[in-house]
Amino acid sequence: MTVSTTSIVRPRRTEPRLGRKLLTSPTALLSIVWLVGLVVASLTAPLWLAHGPLEQDLSAVLQGPSAAHPLGTDELGRDLLSRIITAAAPTLFIALLTPIVGVSVAIPFTLWAARSARVEVVMNRVAEIVLSLPGMVIILAVIAAVGTNMPFVMSIFGLLVFGALYRVFFGQAKSLHRQLFVEAAAVDGVRPMRASLRHVLPNMSTTVIVQFVLIFGVAIGMQAGLAFIGLGPQPPEPTWGGMIQAASRFIFQQPWMMIPTGAVLALTIVAANALADVLAGGSAMPPPLISLRRRRRATGDAATAEAAAAATAEDVVAFTDEIVERDLSVENLVIGVDDGPALVTGVSLRVKPGTVMGLVGESGCGKSVTSYALLGLLAPGLSVRSGAIKWGDADLAQADERALQRIRGHEIAFISQEPTRALDPMFTIEWQLAAAVKRLRKVRGAEAKRVAAQLLTDVGIVDVPRVLKSYPHQISGGMAQRVAIALALAGTPSLLIADEPTTALDVTVQAEILALLRALVAERGMSVILVTHDLGVVADICDDVSVMYAGQIVESGSTRDVLVRPEHPYTMALLAADPHTIADLDDMPRLASIPGQVPPPGSWPAGCRFSQRCRFVTDECLTAIPLTARVVGSGGVRCVRHDEVRGRQEEWRTPAPTGGR
Amino acid sequence: MLTFLLKRVAFAILTLLVASFVAFMLVHLSGSTPGGVALGQSATPEQVHAYNVSVGWYDPWVVQFAGWIGQVLQGNLGVSLIDGRDIADDIAKRLPVTAALAVFGTLFSAILGIVLGVVAAVRGGAVDRGITVLNGILLSLPAFWVGVLLVYVFAVQLRLLPATGFVPLHVNPEAWARSLILPVVTIALTAAAGIARQTRASMGEALAQEHIRTLRAIGTPTTRILYVHALRSASLPVVASIAVQFIVLFGGSVIIEVLFALPGIGQAMQAAVGSADLPFVQALVLVATLVVVVVNLALEMFTIALDPKLRAS
Repeated sequence: MTVSTTSIVRPRRTEPRLGRKLLTSPTALLSIVWLVGLVVASLTAPLWLAHGPLEQDLSAVLQGPSAAHPLGTDELGRDLLSRIITAAAPTLFIALLTPIVGVSVAIPFTLWAARSARVEVVMNRVAEIVLSLPGMVIILAVIAAVGTNMPFVMSIFGLLVFGALYRVFFGQAKSLHRQLFVEAAAVDGVRPMRASLRHVLPNMSTTVIVQFVLIFGVAIGMQAGLAFIGLGPQPPEPTWGGMIQAASRFIFQQPWMMIPTGAVLALTIVAANALADVLAGGSAMPPPLISLRRRRRATGDAATAEAAAAATAEDVVAFTDEIVERDLSVENLVIGVDDGPALVTGVSLRVKPGTVMGLVGESGCGKSVTSYALLGLLAPGLSVRSGAIKWGDADLAQADERALQRIRGHEIAFISQEPTRALDPMFTIEWQLAAAVKRLRKVRGAEAKRVAAQLLTDVGIVDVPRVLKSYPHQISGGMAQRVAIALALAGTPSLLIADEPTTALDVTVQAEILALLRALVAERGMSVILVTHDLGVVADICDDVSVMYAGQIVESGSTRDVLVRPEHPYTMALLAADPHTIADLDDMPRLASIPGQVPPPGSWPAGCRFSQRCRFVTDECLTAIPLTARVVGSGGVRCVRHDEVRGRQEEWRTPAPTGGR
Repeated sequence: MLTFLLKRVAFAILTLLVASFVAFMLVHLSGSTPGGVALGQSATPEQVHAYNVSVGWYDPWVVQFAGWIGQVLQGNLGVSLIDGRDIADDIAKRLPVTAALAVFGTLFSAILGIVLGVVAAVRGGAVDRGITVLNGILLSLPAFWVGVLLVYVFAVQLRLLPATGFVPLHVNPEAWARSLILPVVTIALTAAAGIARQTRASMGEALAQEHIRTLRAIGTPTTRILYVHALRSASLPVVASIAVQFIVLFGGSVIIEVLFALPGIGQAMQAAVGSADLPFVQALVLVATLVVVVVNLALEMFTIALDPKLRAS
């Protein structure tokens, strides 16, 4: 390769971003003003302060604030304002030595360790030893040896924070090294040292600056603490720690004395920490997957009490193995981001007992969101805006948490895409299954364990005792999916919602899981909603299918009708793009690809949402398209031209300009 | 598992050796000599030299270090240069004070930190922001200043608790407890904020895990999801953060013991450093490192017991 890859993959610069972060945050601006202001005031102190820091006035000792002494005086009548301000610059400058030493030692070793596995082993050990040294005690030993030479002591403290800094830096340097651009640079012949300096270090700058500022704050506190116990700069030189120590001695006579110094010291450390916080991007948490707060319902106390009574009555109903046969019918479901765009509009589905409904479409069409909504499992910030989810007599779209809790697991259950992550890694399979069985079937210890074992047998697990004792990380993905299905069956639900249950599994395991689902449907009369993007899976197991595109159902009907005689161009395109169908069409080896991407929520075109990618698009398609009856079979299709275009799916296999105008 | 344990113990011993070597070298590179400190200003250089020779100060440092380690292994930490006290005896007398401060401080900070962190993560919104700001402030306030403020409020104004001083447990348990309350609260606040931060972050991460949705889908009640499942996965990083905070807290006991006039090893450290009592300083570094290393080792074992993945391997 003659083109230099490093020039293509030059990392982005981070400085402008940092600068903007600082300038747009009032907290950061305030912190900077405070720190810089203190230093400037301190350096210019002799010019504007009325009293010198050592100037004693024994006629005015231990005074509160006054015009002559705005912050009062100490036990020797010295002006507190003058002493605080005078002490500021030396304190801050000496405290800077700690992060300077710490960062300049930690960075070279970090970069070296990130490059070489041998160095990494040694440095990790060294960092661990330094981390487990009691820093304060070592610092005191240093003072015992060299006396209260603060610049030297604080520099040594910089060496003692090496362990903590190295840990933070190394994690990031290592992951940066693994990233493509650094490896590309290595392949390209850039020497390792240069690669580190050019590609790794600039990308670490935010972390380094954040740690620098944090250590700076710690160093200020450490310095004041040492001065407080008399091991800092010696009197009469003013130090914040020493002044607080003096204040503590006169706390009975003049409690005011500890306020100004303590407040200045505290505010300075607060400023440093706040600055680091802003630079680090705050303390945002990952959003929880499901909303844990109860949805508030406008019901009176009487209604609540009644509902509670009903709930108790229902809860004590003896568990039966009988499946309650109920229809699920979703009508015009609209799901949206609160204060944002709609994700799903007008989804209608009907699932009859003992049947399997496939919900297919590309990623980003709203399949999973729809499936979450059915059980009230939407992530926080998403909600059902309108429409109904009729389950027997109940409307799950309107139901409160309490009502949903009675349905979840008992009547409708859910299995997810990532079987290994669907189980709690901290508990054994037996513990998790037995806990669910106890709650859902109202049985006790030994019986719950027996049922748990039975459930595993039911889902086709051979070595039940071993699996029961295992933790989720000890079993394979296929096994985990069987366990997840067993967990879902613990309450003998009549409807199982399966969100891409086989996507993460090997092909052979996929077939086994599908066979298991099919058997469960046949034996138990259970119904299933199967979310998938795999038409092979649909053909294999589904009775009915609904095709989703950009938040809408675009075609529905029996699997036979939809897959064999598609009427919507999108369904046709999906079929033509499916490798499984190639086998049947020896003379048509070309696999279709649908141009473009699913438009994201909020930027759906008016009219037919598929129009931009559709090869059959005409002006008719630009007005809103209702779901109309299929020409062949029962079900619906959302295409004004479906009568004209049906049967033309093979055209998708030849590339052609489409929509997009 | 056994090999892992042995490795960790070996590593702990290595850490101890490093710490004691650092202390030894510091003492030897310092300007003072044992004779100079022990005999004081009035001694002639000849007397000082004779004293130094008698304690082996001019022997090769390898010999001295090995000799010192040998003495330590026999439980002999030497005598104070200032008043000839037996250092091991003195530390043994002081250890219960510091231990009480550290143990109760760690317990209190762990409880307070976990409660604050869990509440912040679970309640979210304004409660979360409030606790986050509180944590930021607690992390920034110097403990000794907070201690003085607490003394002012609870000892000077309300007269509920003694301002300073210490009553041994066997003398009067009630007075012992009262003399420890303010120091324990003071030393625990910063650590509590650190633990609260970690707990909040870990709870947040735990609640974003895929299995939470599974639990919800089979109708697991919210309280059980939060306090059995999420807290359980958060427990590992939280225990690790308690271990880190313990080191900081233990170091902070020097300042707190001076502030509250508690006769613990921190106070002895301050006195020994102030008077350049070199063998005492050297012994205290060793003892402090020993405590930190042992506590960290114990917490690490606890973490392993908590983590099924680590336990199995």
